Amino acid sequence: MRRAFLGEFEEIILLVVAACTTEAYGVNVWEDVQQQTGRAITMSAVHTTLYRLEEKGYLSSVLGGATAERGGRRKRFFTLTGLGVRALQDIQAVRARLWQAIPQDKFQLIVG
Amino acid sequence: MFQANQPPQWADRLLEWCCAPHLLEDVQGDLHEVYQKRLAEAGPAKARRDYVVAVLHHLTPFFIRRKKTVLRPGEYPSPSPLNPDMLRNYITIALRTLAHNKAYSVINIVGLSIGLAAAMLIILYTKDEVSYDRFHANAPRLYRITSRELSPAGKVENRQGNTGLLQGPTFAAGVPEIQSFVRYKEDRHDMKQGTDVVSQSVFVADTSFFSVFTFPLLSGDPKTALQQPRSVVISEDMAAKQFGTTDALGKTIFFKRSFDNGDTFEPYTVTGVVRQMPQNSSIRFDVLMPMVVTPQEMTNSENWFNIFENTFVLLTPKADIQAVEAKMNRIYRADAAASIKMMAEKFGFKNKVEYALQPFTAMHLSQDLRADNGLVGGSNPLFSYILTGIALFILLIACINFVNLTVARSLKRAKEIGVRKVVGSGRAQLMFQFLGESFLLCFGAFVLALILVQLVLPTFNQLANKSLALAYLLDGRLVLGYIGLFLLTGFLAGFYPALVLSRYSPVQTLYKRISLSGKNYLQQSLVVLQFALASFLVIATLTIYSQFNYLTNKDLGYDDKDLVSIDKSGLTRSEAKLLHDELLKNPNIVGVAPKNGGQWGTVAKINEGKEINFTYETIDPAYLPLLKIPVRQGRNFSADFPADSTHSVLVNERFVKEAGWKDPIGQPVDFWYNKGEVYTVVGVVKDHHFNGLSQEIGPQLFTTKPGNQFGKAFIKIRPNTASASLQYIERTFKRLFPINPYAFSFVDEDNLKRYESEAKWKQIMLFGAILTIFISCIGLFGLATLSAERRTKEIGIRKVLGASVTSIIQLLSSDFLKLVLLSFVVAFPAAWYAMRQWLQNYPYRIDISAWTFVIAALLALLIAFVTVSFQSIRTALTNPVRSLRSE
Repeated sequence: MRRAFLGEFEEIILLVVAACTTEAYGVNVWEDVQQQTGRAITMSAVHTTLYRLEEKGYLSSVLGGATAERGGRRKRFFTLTGLGVRALQDIQAVRARLWQAIPQDKFQLIVG
Repeated sequence: MFQANQPPQWADRLLEWCCAPHLLEDVQGDLHEVYQKRLAEAGPAKARRDYVVAVLHHLTPFFIRRKKTVLRPGEYPSPSPLNPDMLRNYITIALRTLAHNKAYSVINIVGLSIGLAAAMLIILYTKDEVSYDRFHANAPRLYRITSRELSPAGKVENRQGNTGLLQGPTFAAGVPEIQSFVRYKEDRHDMKQGTDVVSQSVFVADTSFFSVFTFPLLSGDPKTALQQPRSVVISEDMAAKQFGTTDALGKTIFFKRSFDNGDTFEPYTVTGVVRQMPQNSSIRFDVLMPMVVTPQEMTNSENWFNIFENTFVLLTPKADIQAVEAKMNRIYRADAAASIKMMAEKFGFKNKVEYALQPFTAMHLSQDLRADNGLVGGSNPLFSYILTGIALFILLIACINFVNLTVARSLKRAKEIGVRKVVGSGRAQLMFQFLGESFLLCFGAFVLALILVQLVLPTFNQLANKSLALAYLLDGRLVLGYIGLFLLTGFLAGFYPALVLSRYSPVQTLYKRISLSGKNYLQQSLVVLQFALASFLVIATLTIYSQFNYLTNKDLGYDDKDLVSIDKSGLTRSEAKLLHDELLKNPNIVGVAPKNGGQWGTVAKINEGKEINFTYETIDPAYLPLLKIPVRQGRNFSADFPADSTHSVLVNERFVKEAGWKDPIGQPVDFWYNKGEVYTVVGVVKDHHFNGLSQEIGPQLFTTKPGNQFGKAFIKIRPNTASASLQYIERTFKRLFPINPYAFSFVDEDNLKRYESEAKWKQIMLFGAILTIFISCIGLFGLATLSAERRTKEIGIRKVLGASVTSIIQLLSSDFLKLVLLSFVVAFPAAWYAMRQWLQNYPYRIDISAWTFVIAALLALLIAFVTVSFQSIRTALTNPVRSLRSE
C-alpha cells in the first residue's frame, strides 16, 4: 500500500474535517482550524488545501445547502473517504510507534 | 449604488472573472458567508476590507487555472484545437492517411520537394548573378568610364566599355567628385615556375587598387603593396603554386614581358598575398602588378584614342552622375582638342565621342558594355531569366500537383470531416487540422528539398559554371522568401479541405455523395497547364539540340581536322622558316603555316575613297592550301611572284560583295594612312567561318606583308599520330625557342569551345524538360489513380454488363489524353514564337521544323498514356465482385 503522504497543514485540515460534528465546508473548517491551532489562516489557504486533498482522494465533496447569506450559492460539503481515513490511521500508528519507542525517562532527563 | 449588506461589487467581479468556473460557486459562497458574519461582528468597513483581502488571496494560479482534471459527473471538458490530446489525434490521423495512401504521399512529397529544390537551385544561381561585384565596400560609388561614338548625324554608332591611359587620371584631376581612379588591364607575361617557363596571365593596376576595391590581403600592406614598380601581389593559389605556402611576403618571382623579345627575366618582390577572391567578382587575378606608364605616354594626346583597358572611378558620396559625366566631357573636349582634330584629318574620323559612367555592379549582366578585357564572368541576363522561368515552371507544376492531389484525396476524407463535425468539432478545429496537416507535409518536402539541393549542387555547379554552396542560402531576405514560399504552398494545398470541405454540413458529407462538378474544371485546366509547360520545354530542348548540332557539325569552309595550333609571340619570318623546316623532318607532320596572332581588324579605301572595315590576316602562301580553303578566282600567293608580299592581297567573297566589285581581280586596296601602301587584289578566297557560326562572315583580307609579325602557327599532322606528333612538336619548339612558353591546342576542339555556352544551355534545358515531364507525370499518375478509384463501382458494373478490358482502358485513358491534346493548343504557338525569337540570335540557324512539334506531341502523348494506363489496366483487370461487394 502506498504510504499516505500528508503535509502538516493538510493533516490538520483532514483532522478538522474528520472531527467536524456538522457537515464540513469552507467556512466552518476555516473557523475550526483557527480555533484549534490558534493561528491566523487565510480562507484561500483552507480552500486550496481542501481541493488538494480532494484531488489526492482523501476527501470527497458534494454541493448543497444554499443559504440566503451566501447569495443562494451552494456549499461544498467535504467528507472523508476511505483513503483519507486510512491515511489518518497510518499517521496515527506511526506516531504511536514512535512515541512508544522513546525511552521512558528521556523526557524527564531533558526537562530536568 | 452602495449596498452595505453586500460585499464590494468590483471585488466580486474580479473574483468571478479570475476564479475558475468549477471552483467559483462554493468559494464565492464561503466568502459571502464570512462577509455577512464580519458585517454583524465588526461593521461594514472592516467586513469590506476583509472581503477584499480574502478575494485578493484567492487570485493565485491554483484558483485562476481552468481545470478539467477535477471532472465531476455531468461535466464535460470543452476541448480546444490546441489541446494535446487533439493534437495527438490529428498527428495520428495524418500519419495513418499518409501510410494508407503510400503512393499519393510519395508523389506529393517527392514532387513538391523536387520543385522546391529546383527553385532553390535557381535562386542560388540568380542570387549569385545579381550579387556580382556587390561585395566591395565602395560598390554603390564605383563606376566604370565608358564611351559612345556618335556619328555626325547624332546616331550612336558604337559603345565602348574600355578606355585608355589618359581618361582616368585626366578626369580624376579635373572633376572634384571623382575621389580616385584605377586603371586595370590584363597582360601575359612569361613566368618562371621552378625550372619551367609558363605563360601567365598578369594584371596591372594603379596603386589605388586596394583602397578602391575590397580585396583583403592575407599579408602585406594594401596601401603600399603596389607602390614599387618591381612589386607583385599574388593570390593564395598562386602563392601555394609558386612557394608551397601562403606565407610568401618578400619572396621573389621572375617575370619576362612577352612582347619584347630581347628582354630577360626580372625579379619581382611579393608585397602582398590576397585572400581567395569571391566567386562573384568580375575582377579576379592570380598576379597583380603596379601599372607603370612613362611620362611621354601621359603627355601624348593621341592616347585619348588608344583604347585597351578598363578604368574605374570612385565617386564621392552623393555625387550627381549626370553632372560628373558633363564635367568629364567638358574636360575631354578641352584636353583632347588637338587629338580630335588630328583624328579627323589623318583617319577621317568624324564621329563625336562622349564619355559616360557605368555602375560597377551593372557590368556583369550588361550586354552593350560587357565585362571584358581582363574582367571575367560577363554573363547574359537572359540566362537568369530562362532559368528562373524553368524553376518557376517546375515549382508551379509541383505546387499544382500538391494542391490537386491533396484536394482530390480530401474528397475521400469528406466522411472523416462529417464524423468529426457530428462529434462536435468546430470549423476552426477542422481548419487547424487540415492546414496543419498540409503544412506538415510541406515541411517534410522542404527538408527533403534541402537534402536534394545538397546532393545535386556539384552537378549543377558544373552545368552553370559556378561554385555555389548551400550556405549561400543563409541570407535574411532569402530565408524570409523561403518561409513565404512554405506558407503559400502549405496554405494553397490545405485551403480546399480546410476552408471548403469544412463548410459543408455533416449531413451532406455523410449522407449524400458530394459531387464537385465545378472542381473538375479546375483539375482539368491544371493538367492542361502542366502538359503545356512540359511540351513547351520539350520543343525548346529539341530546337536547342538541333541548333547546337547544326553549329557544331556545319562545314566551316575549312578543314580543322588534325590541325594543331601553337602560339609563339613575335615569330619572325626566319624563325617561321626554321620551324617549318625542322618540323617537316618528321614524316607525321604534313605541313606548317604561320599566321598573325589574335585577330586584327583595320580599314582601307576602295573604289576611290569608299572605306571598308575588314579582318586583316597576315599569312604565308602555305596557309590557304593547308586549311583547304579554295581560291575561287585569281590565284593564291606564290613564291613565283616575289612582288606579292608588297603589292598583292587576297580577299574573301564577302569583301567582294561589300565592295560591289564585278571583276575583283586587279582592284586596288588603299591603306591610305600608311603612305604608298596600295595593294592589288590577285585572288578571291571562298567564304569560310573563321569566327565560328555565332558571327556572320565578314570581309576578310589576306596579306603577306613582311612588316606584319606572325604570332602563331598551324601544323597539320597525319591522322592518328597525335601523341607522337605532339611530342615531336613540343621537343622541336623547346629546342628552337627555349625562353618561350609552349602551349598547343587542336583547332577543332577550339571550335567546339566556342559553343560551350550553347552546350551548357542544352544540358540545362534537357535537365529542366526531364524534371518537368517527370513532375507532370507523377501528378497525372496520382490523378489517374484517384479517378480510377472514384469510378471503381462504375467499372464493376460496366464489366458485369460485358465491357471488355480494352474498352475500359480506353474509357479511363481517353479523358486524360484529350486534356494532353488540348495542352498542345496552348503550348505549340508559344513554343514556336519563343524559339523563333531565340534563333534570331544566330546568323546561321536551322528552320523550325514541323517534326519537332510532331515528336514533342508523340512524346507527351506516349508518356501520358503509359502513365495513365498503368493505373487503368490494373483497374480494368480487377474482378467486379470485389468492387461491387461492399457499399
